[in-house]
Amino acid sequence: MQRPRSITLGLPSVMCVCALVFGVPFATNAQSQDSTGMKLSRTVVAANAQTRPRPKVRMGPRRPPTRERVPPASAADSSAESAETIEADVSTRSVEVTAGFTGHEILVFGSIHNSQQPTDDSGYYDVVVVVEGAPEPVVVRRKSDVAGLWINTSSVTFASLPTYYAIAANRAIEEIAGPNVLDKLAIGFAHIKMTPAPGYKWSFSEQQLAAFKAATIRLKQKEGLYVVQVKDGVQFIGRSLFRSTVSLPANVPVGPLVARVFLFRNGEVISAHIARVTLERAGLERVLHNFAFRYPFSYGLFAVILAVLSGLLASAYFRRQTG
Amino acid sequence: MSIYLPIAEMSVNVALFLAMGGAVGFLSGLFGVGGGFLLTPLLIFLGIPSAVAVGTGSMQILASSVSGAIAQYRRNNVDVKMGMVLVGGGIFGSAIGVGLVRLLRLVGQFDLFVALSYVTFLGAVGALMLIESIGTIHRTRSGKTVSARKTGQHSWVHGLPFKMRFHRSKLYISAVPPALIGAFVGFMAAIMGVGGGFVLVPAMIYLLRVPTSVVVGTSLFQIVFVMAATTLLQAVQNQTVDVVLALLLIVGGVVGAQVGAIAGGRLKGEQLRFLLAGLVLLVCLRIGWDLVAKPTEIYSIGPVIGSI
Repeated sequence: MQRPRSITLGLPSVMCVCALVFGVPFATNAQSQDSTGMKLSRTVVAANAQTRPRPKVRMGPRRPPTRERVPPASAADSSAESAETIEADVSTRSVEVTAGFTGHEILVFGSIHNSQQPTDDSGYYDVVVVVEGAPEPVVVRRKSDVAGLWINTSSVTFASLPTYYAIAANRAIEEIAGPNVLDKLAIGFAHIKMTPAPGYKWSFSEQQLAAFKAATIRLKQKEGLYVVQVKDGVQFIGRSLFRSTVSLPANVPVGPLVARVFLFRNGEVISAHIARVTLERAGLERVLHNFAFRYPFSYGLFAVILAVLSGLLASAYFRRQTG
Repeated sequence: MSIYLPIAEMSVNVALFLAMGGAVGFLSGLFGVGGGFLLTPLLIFLGIPSAVAVGTGSMQILASSVSGAIAQYRRNNVDVKMGMVLVGGGIFGSAIGVGLVRLLRLVGQFDLFVALSYVTFLGAVGALMLIESIGTIHRTRSGKTVSARKTGQHSWVHGLPFKMRFHRSKLYISAVPPALIGAFVGFMAAIMGVGGGFVLVPAMIYLLRVPTSVVVGTSLFQIVFVMAATTLLQAVQNQTVDVVLALLLIVGGVVGAQVGAIAGGRLKGEQLRFLLAGLVLLVCLRIGWDLVAKPTEIYSIGPVIGSI
């Protein structure tokens, strides 16, 4: 008696689910095409760096490309014609966040053109690699004891903070350059630009603000989103090659990543290079996320139908099992 | 094996969440409760953002209640008219609750509000259940017969307007109290990610004096419709329903519930209520402790949620 009923109930419901999963988000399917297109260009290119001199140096996280060349090293011995430039790339230009995403390791590598350093361990140059997620506003809240309960009582909204920030260098960044240089380039946790959101009224002392900033960095570090590797975070190979591995954690916020690579000599930046990594949802991850945020009503209906069907199918199954 | 959740945006261990769904399902099968009051705090402890835990919880409750509701309906244990009044109020309350979730997330007090709601309701319901079950156990031990519920009592409830006849419950009462109870439960559902059976059932028995034979069926009827509405509203307003997470919990939950129901058949009602009361109070204390204990980290960080 019950067997045919559960089948007649099961078949259309499975078809419904299939129709919903594959039928609704047409737009998102179309979009995922270009991400596969991107994948084709995911090749490791470093060899042609030497043949094609690129004097354009871009510094700072969000500055439009400028023609201006970084002033040559302050070191007196380096003459203008032998100025070093740095070239870099990343091993993976496009990282896909799929249902099985558990983090990803990217390799940032490159070479110093016109390298003057005699050996890889001479300490002649310093290389700093900063991999950053897109800046986003964040709100930082502070709890205090209100009548025995710990309640969020004050908050600061920072206009933009990198969602992810990994820094690697061949030695401690404070040893590499002075605070002014680091501030200007936003290198190091203490030098990330943290400014209030527009229209935000400050009612905190400098000291309180500093505590908020420190807490923000601390929390981001605890989440594994702010990472620092300074002891051999960047390794030199021979006179001009260098490499650095950066581990993107499983909870890395999805969005474009920028890898900035700086070449330091005597505490001054003598060359810099920017490489980009796209970090995108792919597959079912992308379909479901876009579905939920672009068509929330259909997604809600889908969730309801899915819940009802799975509940009914499960009980139909168990009823058959127990007779 | 781990899976990346599309809405919670984190990678979780599949086995852990299946097991958790199974454990909660086992307890809900054992005690005959929805289990939302256990599931949502557990999800939050495991690092799921509280708004996602609440939104996804309603989807899980919908799945776990729907088959029970249909079974009760087939056995004619549902007072549909009463259920409709409860659902009407419930959807209204849920809409207010979902709106409040948005507002509270905006001002950064959502976690606090959830914790306070849990402590209040679980504390009250747990304490009442504990007292009642201990009383019953004592009376049955001393050999006295348990007095049946008195019927036909009149209270202030009967003086209210909009009287309706609820044939199945054999009641002629105002529609206002059931609508209010429904609204209150719907509100709780949206804020706490619970089905609200633990409030709905006692309220129907003690306030509305609905016969016990239709209480469970009617409350399941209400829970199914209100949970469906809440899931939809959370998805539309807050985008906090994670279907992948919900499916993990549902799969674990249905299996656990079957095992729990078998185990539950071997225990007496008042023993079950005593154990359940203990469990409810434990969850209450655990959440309450986090509110009063000095946190190791007094700062927290969150995304800026778009203005209203």
